[in-house]
Amino acid sequence: MAMRVDFFLVMAALLFSIGCVGVLIRRNVIVMLMSIELMLNAVNLTFVAFSHESRSMTGHVFSLFVITVAACEAAVGLAIVLALFRRRRTTDVDDVSLLRW
Amino acid sequence: MHLLTGLVIVVMAVALLRAIVPAQPTLTMLGGSIAALVLLVAYRHDLLGTEFWAGAIGFVAILSALLVVLHPNPMVSVLFLILNLLCVALFYIMLQAHLMAVLQVIVYAGAIMVLFVFVIMLLNLRAEEGLRLGSGAERWLAMGLGGVFAALLFWALRHRGGQAWAGPGRYIEGFGTARDMGALLFGEYLFVTEAASVLLIAAMVGAVLLAKRRLE
Amino acid sequence: MDPATLRVLIEATVKIALLFGLNLTVVAYMTLVERRVSAWIQDRRGPNRVGPFGLLQPLADGIKFIFKEAILPPHAHTALYLLAPVIIFVPAMVTLSVVPFGPPVELFGLSIPLQIADVDGGLLVILGLSSLGVYGVALAGWSSNNKYSLMGGLRSSAQLISYEMAMGFAVVGVLMTAGSLRLDDVVRSQMTHGWNVLWQFPGFVVFLTAAFAETNRLPFDLPEAESELVAGYHTEYSGMRFSMFYMAEYANMITASALAATLYLGGYHVPGLARLGLSPNLAALVQVAAFGFKVAVFLFLYVWVRWTLPRFRYDQLMNLGWKVLLPVALGHLMWVAFIVLAGWA
Repeated sequence: MAMRVDFFLVMAALLFSIGCVGVLIRRNVIVMLMSIELMLNAVNLTFVAFSHESRSMTGHVFSLFVITVAACEAAVGLAIVLALFRRRRTTDVDDVSLLRW
Repeated sequence: MHLLTGLVIVVMAVALLRAIVPAQPTLTMLGGSIAALVLLVAYRHDLLGTEFWAGAIGFVAILSALLVVLHPNPMVSVLFLILNLLCVALFYIMLQAHLMAVLQVIVYAGAIMVLFVFVIMLLNLRAEEGLRLGSGAERWLAMGLGGVFAALLFWALRHRGGQAWAGPGRYIEGFGTARDMGALLFGEYLFVTEAASVLLIAAMVGAVLLAKRRLE
Repeated sequence: MDPATLRVLIEATVKIALLFGLNLTVVAYMTLVERRVSAWIQDRRGPNRVGPFGLLQPLADGIKFIFKEAILPPHAHTALYLLAPVIIFVPAMVTLSVVPFGPPVELFGLSIPLQIADVDGGLLVILGLSSLGVYGVALAGWSSNNKYSLMGGLRSSAQLISYEMAMGFAVVGVLMTAGSLRLDDVVRSQMTHGWNVLWQFPGFVVFLTAAFAETNRLPFDLPEAESELVAGYHTEYSGMRFSMFYMAEYANMITASALAATLYLGGYHVPGLARLGLSPNLAALVQVAAFGFKVAVFLFLYVWVRWTLPRFRYDQLMNLGWKVLLPVALGHLMWVAFIVLAGWA
C-alpha cells in the first residue's frame, strides 16, 4: 500500500507556512528562533521527499548540511540572546529595536 | 487524498479557533480532539494502512507546529517543537531515509533543542502573561500573508509534473543507509564536508565568545 | 489481516512483554543487590529480614512508595512536572529493544531472532535515545519551581550532554571494526575478530566512564548529592513519582551494562561453544545465559565503584569530560583507524 510523495510536500509546505507566520507574529526572541528551526525542518522534509522520488542520495546530503547550518545558527543566535539578556533584561524584540536608548 | 483534505480542514479550523480565542485553550483542544476522533472513526477500515498513519502523524505534526507558534510558555513551545521533530523523523522513515531519521533525532531533537532548553532555564523565562502577538492589524496581516504564501505553495505543488510513490511497497535496496551517505560525503562532496566542519568550529568559538561573562 | 503481519505482531508483542517484565524485575532486584553488596563492602549485613535472604525487600519497598503521599508542589508547572519522570524512564527501556540477547532460536518451525528490532542504524538509535533522556532531567529541574532543583537539573543536563560526546566517539570505534551499524553485526564481528575489549581497551574505558556519567552514578552523581543540592533535580518528587526516578536510574544502569556487554564483551558470544556440539536451541539458551552473566558483571561493577570511589566535584567532572576523555577518545579513534587499515580487525 503506497502513497504519493506529494503528501510529504504538502506537509512541508504547511510546516513552512506555520513557521513563517510564527516568525512574523511572535515577539519573544526564543520562539522566533524556534519558528526558524521549524522552517528549516520543513525544507529538510522537502529535500528528502524529492530525494526519494528521484532515487538519488544528494537530497539527503544536502539535508544533512542544512541540519549542520541550523545547529550553528541556533548556537550563535542563542549566545546573542544570552548576551542581550544580560544587558537589557528582556527577550522581547520590540524592546531592543533601538541601538541605544 | 481525501484524508489529507479532511486533516487540512481540521487543522485550519483549530488554528482559527486558537487565534480568535487564545484565552480558551481547552475549547480548541476539545474541538481538535473531537475532529480527530471523527476522522478516526470515518477511516477505521484501513487502520493498518500507510496512508492512515501518515495522515495521523501529519495531523500531530501540524498541530504541534501550531502550538509551538501559539503557546505563551516558551518551555512548552520547545516541547511541542521536539514532538514536531519526532513526527518529521517518522516521515523520514516512511520515505526510507533511515539515517536521516536517526540523525534528526540525535542532532536536531537531541542536541539543538537541548540548547534551547538550557537557554530558557538560564534566563528563567516563565509563561508570558497574555500572549503578546503584536497589535491587531499586524497579527491579521501576518496571518493573511501566511495564508497567501501557503496558497502559493499549494498551487505550485498542484502543477507539478512527477507522480512518484512512497511507502512500504517502494523499497529501494540500500537507499538511505549510512554506507551510501558516507560514500557521497567523502567522495563527491568532500570539500563541502570539510567546509561544514570549519563552519561548526567557527560557530562554537563564536558562541563561547558571545556568551562569555566578562570578569570586570 | 494477512498471516505475515499477524506473525510479526504476535512475535513483537511476546518479546516486548517478556523483555518489559524481565527489565522491571531486574530493576526491582537491583535495589536489593545494591544494598546487599554495599553492606558486604562495608562489612555489615544488608536487608535480610523480609523473606529469605531479604528477597521480598523490593516488594516491601514498592508498597512503601505506593503508600507515600505524592505531593504536588503548589507553584510547579503541573504538566511538565508529571511528564519528566516518564521522559527519563522510557528511553532506557526502549534502548533495550535493539540489543541482541542471543542467536536466532528455532521454535514452531520458525527462526526467531532474539532481538525486538534489528534496525539498520542500531548504534545510532542508542545514541539518539540517550540524547532524548536528557530532557527528563532538565524538565524535572525546571518544573519543580525550586532553586536546588533548577541547579541540579542544569548541572545534570550539562554533565549528560558532555559525556554523550565521549560515548559517541567510543561507539564510532566499535562501528569502524564492525563495519555496520546493526548490533547483531557488531556481535558477529566480535565472534570472528575477537572481543572488542582486547583490541580497543582505551575505548572501553572511555565508554565505561561515559556510561557512569550518563546514568548519574557515583563518582559522577553530584547533581543528586545529598550534601550539596538536597536531592538535585528530584527534590520535589515524592511517593510513586520519586520511585519512577529511582527505577529510571536502575533501568539506565541495566541498559548501559547491556550495551557495554554487546559492544565490547562480545554480546552473547561464548568462545568455544561450537565445539561442544549442542542442539541449536540449547546453544542459544547457553548464550543468552552468558549474556545475562556479562550484564551482571557490569552491574556488579557499577555497585562496586559506587561504594568505593569518592564523588567528583562539578568542575573536576566537566574537566574530565572535555579535557581528558575527549582527547583520549580521539586518540583511540586514530588507533582503531590504524588497526582497521593494517587489517588486524
